Amino acid sequence: MAEIRLEKLVKRYGSVEVLHGIELEMADNEFTVLVGPSGCGKSTTLRMIAGLESVSSGEIYVDGRPISHLDPKDRGLAMVFQDYALYPHMDVAGNISFALRLQKRPKPEIQAKVKEVAEVVGLTDFLHRKPAALSGGQRQRVAMARALAKDSGIFLFDEPLSNLDAKLRGQMRAELAVMRQTVQKNMIYVTHDQIEAMTLADRIVVMHGGYIQQQGSPEELFKRPANKFVAGFLGSPPMNFLEAELVRDADRTFVQGASFKLEVPEDKAATLAATTRQVIVGIRPSDLNFSADAEDQVALDLKVRVSEYIGAQSVLLCACGQDDVTVELKSETPIALGETLRFAVRPEGIHLFDRSTERAL
Amino acid sequence: MQYQRQNPAFFALLVALIFMAVGPIVLMFANSFKLDVDIIGGTTGLLFLPTIQNYETALCDVLWYEPEHLDFCALKFGGAFVNSLIIALVSTLLTLVIGTMAAYALVRFRFFGRDTVSLTTLTVRMVPPAVLLVPVFGLWNNEFCIDKATYVGGWIRDTFGGRGDVCLAGTHSGIILIYVAMNLPFVIWILQSFIVQVPRSLEESARVDGAGPFQVFFKIVLPLIKPGLAAAAIFTFRIAWNEYLLASALSDRNTKTVPILIVNNMSEFNVEWGVIMATGMLLAIPPIIFTLFASRQIITGMTAGAVKG
Repeated sequence: MAEIRLEKLVKRYGSVEVLHGIELEMADNEFTVLVGPSGCGKSTTLRMIAGLESVSSGEIYVDGRPISHLDPKDRGLAMVFQDYALYPHMDVAGNISFALRLQKRPKPEIQAKVKEVAEVVGLTDFLHRKPAALSGGQRQRVAMARALAKDSGIFLFDEPLSNLDAKLRGQMRAELAVMRQTVQKNMIYVTHDQIEAMTLADRIVVMHGGYIQQQGSPEELFKRPANKFVAGFLGSPPMNFLEAELVRDADRTFVQGASFKLEVPEDKAATLAATTRQVIVGIRPSDLNFSADAEDQVALDLKVRVSEYIGAQSVLLCACGQDDVTVELKSETPIALGETLRFAVRPEGIHLFDRSTERAL
Repeated sequence: MQYQRQNPAFFALLVALIFMAVGPIVLMFANSFKLDVDIIGGTTGLLFLPTIQNYETALCDVLWYEPEHLDFCALKFGGAFVNSLIIALVSTLLTLVIGTMAAYALVRFRFFGRDTVSLTTLTVRMVPPAVLLVPVFGLWNNEFCIDKATYVGGWIRDTFGGRGDVCLAGTHSGIILIYVAMNLPFVIWILQSFIVQVPRSLEESARVDGAGPFQVFFKIVLPLIKPGLAAAAIFTFRIAWNEYLLASALSDRNTKTVPILIVNNMSEFNVEWGVIMATGMLLAIPPIIFTLFASRQIITGMTAGAVKG
C-alpha cells in the first residue's frame, strides 16, 4: 500500500562511506529482496528505511513523501528483526499487541486483532506464554505476528530466518511465501541467502560494497547477470569462471582458453565490440551436460578431482587445465576419479564478461 | 552415589561462621528481654525471667497505655521511626530514579566525556562519609539557607515555625540529599551493568512499534532491569537506614533517626543496655521486611527468550 523510493541514499560513519548513493524504487505491493554478502550495506539500507540509522545524505520517499527526518514510530512501518527482539517480560499476546496498545486502540479491537494474527501464524494456543517458553520457530512466528498486527503498509525483514536451523528455515520460507500471497503489503527483505532471495522475491536487488550491482526479477538476474559478481553470487553451485581470449575466425567467434576453445553463438557474437579480446567466460554447472560425443567447439574436457554425492545429483569438482570447474551429474552415471569426461556447453549458457571491468558483454 | 567425605575442618569453619553471623543477633534478642541488672550481672545467661519492659520503654510514645515503670516518656521512638522511614524511603526512591536515568544515558548515549563521567562516579564513592561531614555540615548550616526576610523563606518560616533563616541542616531534605549523593555512584555503577545486557534490538523494535524514547525506557528497559533495581534498592535502603555519622550531625531534635535515638540512651551516668537492645531489634525489622520484599524481584534470566542467544 505504499511506494518507496530511495534517492541517492548515502551513509557515512565518520569519514567512511558505506553506502554510495543508493537509487531504488519499490512499487506498491512488491516483495523486494536486498541480497549480498555481509558488509555490503543491505542491512544498513533497511535500517535507514526503518529510521534506526540516520541518513547522511539523500532521501527516502514513501508515496512521494520524504520520511528521512521522521522518528521510526512516525514512519508507520513494521519490522521483523534477525534476533526476533521479543519483549521477554510480556507474553505472546502482549508482544503482538504492544504497538496497538501504544496507539491506544480500544481493547476489544486489540483482542480481535491479536486473535486474528495469531491464527494466521498458528500461535493461538501459545498466547499466554512468555517468549522464554517458546521454541525458535515459534519465537520467529511471534515476531512475524507482531509485525502483522500493526497493519502498516510496509513490512521490513532483517534476515528473519538466519537464526533458524536448516529444516525450520525451509519450512518458514515456504510459510512466508504462502503469507506473501494473502498479505498485500510492500515488503523489503534483507538476506545473505541467495535461495531465500530467489524463491521469495518479486524483485532482487544485489548489493556489494555499498553499491547496487543489479536489480530485477529473479529470472532476469539469473539469466542475464549484469556483471561477474551478480553471476557468481546467484545460483548454486555457483557459476564457473574461466579466463579466455576472443578469437575471430572468418565469420565465427570463439573463446579460447588454455585448454578449451568454445564457439560463441552468432547472436551473442554480433553484440561484441570488435576491440574486445580479454574476457572471462562464465558457465553455470547446470549448463554443462555430460555428453561423450559432443563436438570439440561446444564441449569442455574436464578431469574429475572430487565427487560430492548429494543424493540424486553429484557435484563434481573438476579441473579444466589450470582452472577449477564445477559440474552437476546424475548420481548413477558411472565415473571414476581422475577420469577425463566431456561436457557439452549449452550455447545460451555462455556468459561473457570483460576481464578488466567485469561487466557482462 | 556415595557422598564424598568432607573435611571436619570444613564443618568447624561453617559452625564458626554461623556463630559469628547469628551470635550477636541471638545475644541482642535475648538481652532485649532482660532487665539491666540481669544483663550487667552476667550471671543468668540464657536462664532468666523475660520481661517486655525494655520494649515498653522504647515504644512509650506509641503505646496506648502508660507503662508502670516509667514516670516520663523520654524516648520518642515513634517519631524517630517515622523520620527514618521518610528519609530511607525517599532517598532510595530518588537514588533509583536518578540512578537509572543516569545509567541509561551513560550506557546508550554517546556524548563527550562519557567514559570519564562513568569512572568518576565510582571515585566519588571512594570518599569516606567522615570526610564529607565537616564541609557538608558547614554548607547545610551556613550556605544552603533561604533568608527569612525573603518571600519564600518567610512563608516556610510561617508554615513550619522556628527562628532564624531556613537552612538545609536539621531538615529531612538535608539528610536525604546527602544520602542520595552518597549512594548514587554505586547505584549508577550496578545499573549500568544491567542496562548493557538489555539487547539493543529490543529498543529498536519498540521504536519501530511506535514507542517514543520515554516509552522505550519505561515499558521496555525498566521492567527488564527490575533485578538490578531491586538489588540497588536493598543496598541504598540499608545504607540510608543504618547511617549514623551524617545523620547525627545534620538532624535536629525533630528529624533524628532511630540510630541516633539508640545512642541517646547512653550517658556518662548510665548505659541502658536493655533499651538499646530492644530498640536495636525494632530497628532491624524494616530492613528485613524491605529486603524480603525487594529480593523477590531479583529473578535471574529476565531477558531469557528475548533474542536468539
